Amino acid sequence: MPITTKPLFQDYFSDFKGYDEVLKPDMSINTEWKTLLNKFSEVGTENLLSKQDEINWLMEENGVTYNVYNDPHGLNRSWGLNVVPYVIHQTEWESTIEKGIKQRAELLNLILKDIYGKRELIKNGIVPEEVVLAHRGFLRQCDQIQYKTAKQLQIYSLDLARGPDGRMWVVSDRTQAPSGMGYALENRYALNRVVPDVFENINVKQPLAFFNDLKQMLIEAAPQNHSNPNIVILTPGPHNETYFEHSYLASFLGYPLVMGSDLVVRNGKLWLKTLKKLKQVDVVLRRVDDAFMDPLELREDSYLGVAGLLEVVREQQVAVVNPIGSGILDNSGLIPFMNAICKYFFKEPLILPQIASWWCGQKKEFDYVIEHLKDLVVKRIDRSNRENIYFCEFLDDNALKKLKDEIALAPYQFVAQEKISFSTAPNFVKGKLEPRKVSCRTFAIAKKDGYSVMPGGLVRVAADRKKIFVSNQRGGISKDFWIVSDAVQNPLRNYAWDSSSNNTISDINDLSSNTAENLFWSGRYLGRSLVTARYLRVVLNRMNQEQSTTRKSDSDTLILLFQSITNITSTFPGFVGEGAEARLKEPLKEILSLLKDETRIGSLAQTMNSFNNAYYSLRSLWSKDMWRVFDGIKKQWENFNGAKDFSINKLIKFLDRIITRLIAFMALIEESILVNQGLLLYFIGLQTEQSMMHVEKCRSLLVINYEEQVQYEVLEALLNSNESLNIYRYSYRSYLSVENVIKLLLVDKNYAKSLAYKITRIEKDICRLPYSEGSNTVAACKAKILRAHTKIESLTIEHLLTLNDDHTIRQNLDDALAKISELLHETSMEVSNTYFNHSYTQKQLTNQNFPLQ
Amino acid sequence: MLFQISHTTSYIYEVGVTFCHNIATIKPKDMLGQKVVDYKLEISPTPTEFSEKLDFFGNTITRFSIQEQHKTLKVTALSKILRDHTLEPDIYKSESGPKITLIEALAALKTENRGHLDIKQFVLESILIANITKDIRAYAEVSFKPNRPIFEAAYELMERIFKDFEFNPNVTNVATPIHEVMVNKKGVCQDFAQIAIACIRSVGLPARYVSGYIETLPPPGKEKLVGTDASHAWFSIYIPSFGWVDFDPTNNQIPKDQHIVVAYGRDYYDVPPLKGVIYSSGANKMKVAVDIRPAV
Repeated sequence: MPITTKPLFQDYFSDFKGYDEVLKPDMSINTEWKTLLNKFSEVGTENLLSKQDEINWLMEENGVTYNVYNDPHGLNRSWGLNVVPYVIHQTEWESTIEKGIKQRAELLNLILKDIYGKRELIKNGIVPEEVVLAHRGFLRQCDQIQYKTAKQLQIYSLDLARGPDGRMWVVSDRTQAPSGMGYALENRYALNRVVPDVFENINVKQPLAFFNDLKQMLIEAAPQNHSNPNIVILTPGPHNETYFEHSYLASFLGYPLVMGSDLVVRNGKLWLKTLKKLKQVDVVLRRVDDAFMDPLELREDSYLGVAGLLEVVREQQVAVVNPIGSGILDNSGLIPFMNAICKYFFKEPLILPQIASWWCGQKKEFDYVIEHLKDLVVKRIDRSNRENIYFCEFLDDNALKKLKDEIALAPYQFVAQEKISFSTAPNFVKGKLEPRKVSCRTFAIAKKDGYSVMPGGLVRVAADRKKIFVSNQRGGISKDFWIVSDAVQNPLRNYAWDSSSNNTISDINDLSSNTAENLFWSGRYLGRSLVTARYLRVVLNRMNQEQSTTRKSDSDTLILLFQSITNITSTFPGFVGEGAEARLKEPLKEILSLLKDETRIGSLAQTMNSFNNAYYSLRSLWSKDMWRVFDGIKKQWENFNGAKDFSINKLIKFLDRIITRLIAFMALIEESILVNQGLLLYFIGLQTEQSMMHVEKCRSLLVINYEEQVQYEVLEALLNSNESLNIYRYSYRSYLSVENVIKLLLVDKNYAKSLAYKITRIEKDICRLPYSEGSNTVAACKAKILRAHTKIESLTIEHLLTLNDDHTIRQNLDDALAKISELLHETSMEVSNTYFNHSYTQKQLTNQNFPLQ
Repeated sequence: MLFQISHTTSYIYEVGVTFCHNIATIKPKDMLGQKVVDYKLEISPTPTEFSEKLDFFGNTITRFSIQEQHKTLKVTALSKILRDHTLEPDIYKSESGPKITLIEALAALKTENRGHLDIKQFVLESILIANITKDIRAYAEVSFKPNRPIFEAAYELMERIFKDFEFNPNVTNVATPIHEVMVNKKGVCQDFAQIAIACIRSVGLPARYVSGYIETLPPPGKEKLVGTDASHAWFSIYIPSFGWVDFDPTNNQIPKDQHIVVAYGRDYYDVPPLKGVIYSSGANKMKVAVDIRPAV
């Protein structure tokens, strides 16, 4: 049966106008696609649908995401991977495409060297001055910098698409901090896992050797310490569109993922701030754009880079990959001159064809562009984002005129290109294959004697059938990119590296202080979330009981409990301060606000939000199970926020679900993150927060002397909120008494939920933190927790139980708890001061907020 | 003339600074007609790191970092400069320089100095002089006419800025966009220089920003006070077949011996006297004192 009559292909060619990957010009099927598509036909539509679902599920489960800027719902959007890969035969790949990528990489490397070096291309009139000088990526600060590496352009990425003549065409060069190789690798792993049978008998080239080359390149880039260089990956942070990839590569390659604030320049070197000391950094694989790399010499408003870095680069004390300044190559103004440049350097023509382009800085070209504007695509030479590309065929007369004026004002800033229709490839959509425009991102890594090219790459697919643009930023879909060979290939190995090049963080001394801080705060927020959720649940349960009785003591107890909520969560005025009476009449409204109001400090929503933020920045430490549970919590929140019914019962059910997941999550943290990776900091944060809230609970509920019935109910609520009622019954087998509750919850040294136990644990953990010689600040946090420890050890039950003269309150208990609370706060402050560098807020000497673009 | 110049910048930080990285573009140029006889940079507290290099424009850049906790930073540049403008080429003595018209100049720029970045880059937009608007071009075209000598036009432009713009140190700061200055017609020397540069570039000619000092003279019979001078800025236009000619629109004159050149750039952004990144949490106060007087 001819392939086009199979059900999968129904309508595939119905409005077919362009060029498709599957079809040859004579409408016969390309052989490398035939095998693949036959396999998909064998798998069948139903099966494919479930495979696609499985991929979607896997991507979500693995937390593969892509952030879309300026989209409130865009943070951590799931990465889309289509079940149908994109295929090119090895012969075509090796004979032209791979060669073409290598040639272009070599060429751009020489251009980069020339632009910041001798500038012969300009002097000899091969490239007009303006193409370099008027490009904002030309950083005069980087002029004449010498590098020790053989190649200046270390990582190169090239977007290709198949043109009308059946050849692969150059679409654009990416040279600053190209993204996509991590996604490409994850795509391969996912597809391999979901449809392993499709790979059978098809020899797909695997990318692992390429990643070894990447690793080797980074090691060799080190200007010093060649045997064991310190390599870091610099990310702009969790809000960056490709943050997933940064953390993915960090854990895959085994290098720490750092932000600008983790690094510092001192004594002419670059250092990573770790818990113990400053550790010299030799190589920075950066995902931060050129202009943001050094606020001293480049954009002064940048917090993503490191002040003074450029001078360290100049002095060859650190290597940045790619070198700062390489953004000059992201330059459509170079395209019209590439052939001449290629002839100049290599005496040979370009292998990969480029789209016909006209640089408007020349009179003849300018006139041509103005005359034929409607048929062209216009770009600024230094802006490659979609917003600065004009597809003139879609512009009305007004917009065209405006564009003409703009070009006339600074013609040298514009390049016009022929509009060109690239090929489509089959995409599996709603049970059918559909032709969609595709664009292939390829990657090359510098080696001593050339470039190593990833076999395949990342294929991106237009968002719908009619779309001609392909872009992730608009939330597109991707494909795995197969280079198929006639020879049998090695199967895809799992993450396996030879140990010689492995220098993962193995020591808590090397933990960056930023990661440490985020772990500490994750612990604190998580502790706060759990205690708050449990306490609210206890009160809600109580409210439920009250509805079925009319006893006075019940409502008295409830009011006490409401008031204690405000105290424990510090959400004043609440049920305590101004306006409390009105709130006590409608307690559910206030409780709902404490659950839902993200803007209210101390609310569960706000605490969870802060936790999310701290936790996202730790992504490279996550296990897949952690992601799954984390995602579960997020979904519960979304459902909860969208709900209409906020009855007491619904709220209790919601809290039940959240609490279960929080506990699962905490257990996962303990088993997934090593103490050396900073788990200690998490524990210190968690235990400190829980202890502080524990103290607040006891102060709110145990200090005042209540009449018997109320006392009983209050104690029961307190034990319940700590999940300690069963333990109490087991330990004391008695009626609830203040004495025994204090024994159990405060001074019992063997009960993990008692204050004494927790404080001992915090003390132990703090003593395990690294400290540098001669630093007396470390002693400060030890001293504080030691005092808290001594204080709680010294307490006796008789003393704590003593009532004051009018028998209303237990003043001694309150004083002791107040003191411990204070010491815990101070401990937290000291940990923070010692390890997290708060005093280092980067500022400009003179505040010069220039209108930079 | 032999001058002695002292230029002190002090910062007082409300909360201490733990450490800082700074760049100063503060050393006067050594060039034809201006000789640096003596130069010394005093920094307190003493920097941990210190280096001097030439930047892309040929200016001397001083980098330093201070790694000890400090509450004040004081940077003093002391120099002795021998200034003799008569050694520089004189446009009035040049045959072709004063005569070359806009049309001729634009044609000459196309052929002359091909590949010469030093001139070409001063025609293009720069960070603070970007998106040159129609009103700036219109203002320029009052003076720059196709068949009029560009020297004459530049001279008139200087005179018009001197006349049309009010010197007022309270309305602008280093970040005030030129478009705003153009509308309000108020500002300081650096605004006037940048307006002139924008005008000249709008007609396609090269213009650069000059930072430096100017000696101010006390009123007749009065003693000159220390620290009454200030950093100064003016502009320079490139005249094909002759070279660069400086104009000071703040004082309506072609600089002679009273003007000391520190640095050339495309605009202020390229040559701020002192900039830096500090690590601190509080506010800071800055004070600048410049003193120029004939050396004894």
